Amino acid sequence: MRVIEKIIKKPWPYIAGGIILALLNITLFAFSGKPWRITTGFLYWGMGILEVMGVDHLDWHYFTVNGNQLSEGKTFFNNEYTVINLSVMMGASIAAFLASEFKWKRIKNRKQLLFGLVGGVLMGYGSRLSFGCNIGAYFSAIPSFSLHGWVYAVFMFVGAWLGCKLLFKFLL
Amino acid sequence: MASSKIEELKRKRQLKNKRKKNQVIYGGVLIFIGIIIYILLLKNNFLYSVIWIIGLLIGFTLQKSRFCFTASFRDPIMVGSSSVLKAVIIAFIISTIGFAFIQYNAIGGNTAIGYENIPGKIAPLGIHTAIGAILFGIGMVIAGGCASGTLMRIGEGFALQMVVLSGFIMGTVLGGYHFEFWDRFFISRSKAIYIPEYLGLPLTVTLQIIALCILYYVVDIYQTKNNMMSI
Amino acid sequence: MLEVRIDCMHEACPIPLLKALKKLNKMNIGDVLIMETDHSCSITNVIDWAKKQGHEVDYAEISDGEWEIYIEKRQ
Repeated sequence: MRVIEKIIKKPWPYIAGGIILALLNITLFAFSGKPWRITTGFLYWGMGILEVMGVDHLDWHYFTVNGNQLSEGKTFFNNEYTVINLSVMMGASIAAFLASEFKWKRIKNRKQLLFGLVGGVLMGYGSRLSFGCNIGAYFSAIPSFSLHGWVYAVFMFVGAWLGCKLLFKFLL
Repeated sequence: MASSKIEELKRKRQLKNKRKKNQVIYGGVLIFIGIIIYILLLKNNFLYSVIWIIGLLIGFTLQKSRFCFTASFRDPIMVGSSSVLKAVIIAFIISTIGFAFIQYNAIGGNTAIGYENIPGKIAPLGIHTAIGAILFGIGMVIAGGCASGTLMRIGEGFALQMVVLSGFIMGTVLGGYHFEFWDRFFISRSKAIYIPEYLGLPLTVTLQIIALCILYYVVDIYQTKNNMMSI
Repeated sequence: MLEVRIDCMHEACPIPLLKALKKLNKMNIGDVLIMETDHSCSITNVIDWAKKQGHEVDYAEISDGEWEIYIEKRQ
């Protein structure tokens, strides 16, 4: 039982995480025919919220090209992205609780809040342009042998470098 | 092992510890809820139930290994440590092999079958990819988490990441709204490049694995050299 | 021996590491940096970095989801 206790309580090495995530992504791909993607689910949630608020948007250009339209029988909240996003959150909660390290962590100050919000918006906007986030356009794209994954990785480095500059200037 | 000074400090600290709560029970409750949702999904939609279980495992792994794609980009730049990046490269090597089998299974040797029919994530490549990646890179560093990291940290109880998620949702909706502009000027003029179409699947797999191995060694050497952004 | 304490409670990911780095640069060999953090990534992130730099390092959980990281400067 000591081994199990250690697995649950101590952080795992990065390499172990990488190997397991790769295997899980392959399993997901094999079962559902689609590799792991996140951000499209966020878009659907946003659209769902707009829908509730009464904004009409299904005629948006976005949903007419590149196979972006909702597939048969899916809604903005009832789709596979919602399932996986919620389950990832819940899996992380389970891990945190089992290690007894769950804690509500409040926001430190306004600056942190502002940077979080701006960072989120930038990520969201960027993910539409490049057809995915670091999962859809990077973690699942490079193994799919699509060249855009590699290009994405290179430019994400450029972006991260710029982000570091900003961070040093304003947050530290 | 840690030095005596640290041991001493640790011992002193342990004495005045706040009483630690045991949260395992909540974890058990959540696992129970997860199983109930699994059973409900199993009755309605088999595929969703599989995705649910894999998602739970992904979340668990992300949290336990502190796997952070943001750190894999940021830490080599900022402090010159690249353990996370190395783990990401290993993950790529494994998933390259796995994805190759799945794609081969689906399309055989016929790589010119059309991108819609090839399983995987293949998308048009162009300036929009670069712009999107740069925006995303800046965003993830200043927000302190990427898409998977944000989900994982919400699960851990970070209020900040809920703000990031709402920003994320606003950003994607805005991006979807502006998509017509980008599509007209950039995306519709560019095409997706599926490497095996030019090189064939076996050669692509081999080359990609070699490239990833080389990258691994380069990153390893870089780490020992330890460059640092000046603060 | 000097003990330097930094408070990194409620800080998001790269900040704890950068604060530690900044402080360590000003410290003498043999001094110990004590860092309080509630960011779960720090206990792998900071420790991984400090080990690589050749410092002595360890951590202890002081409350639910709160840790103290000890770094003894070695070079």
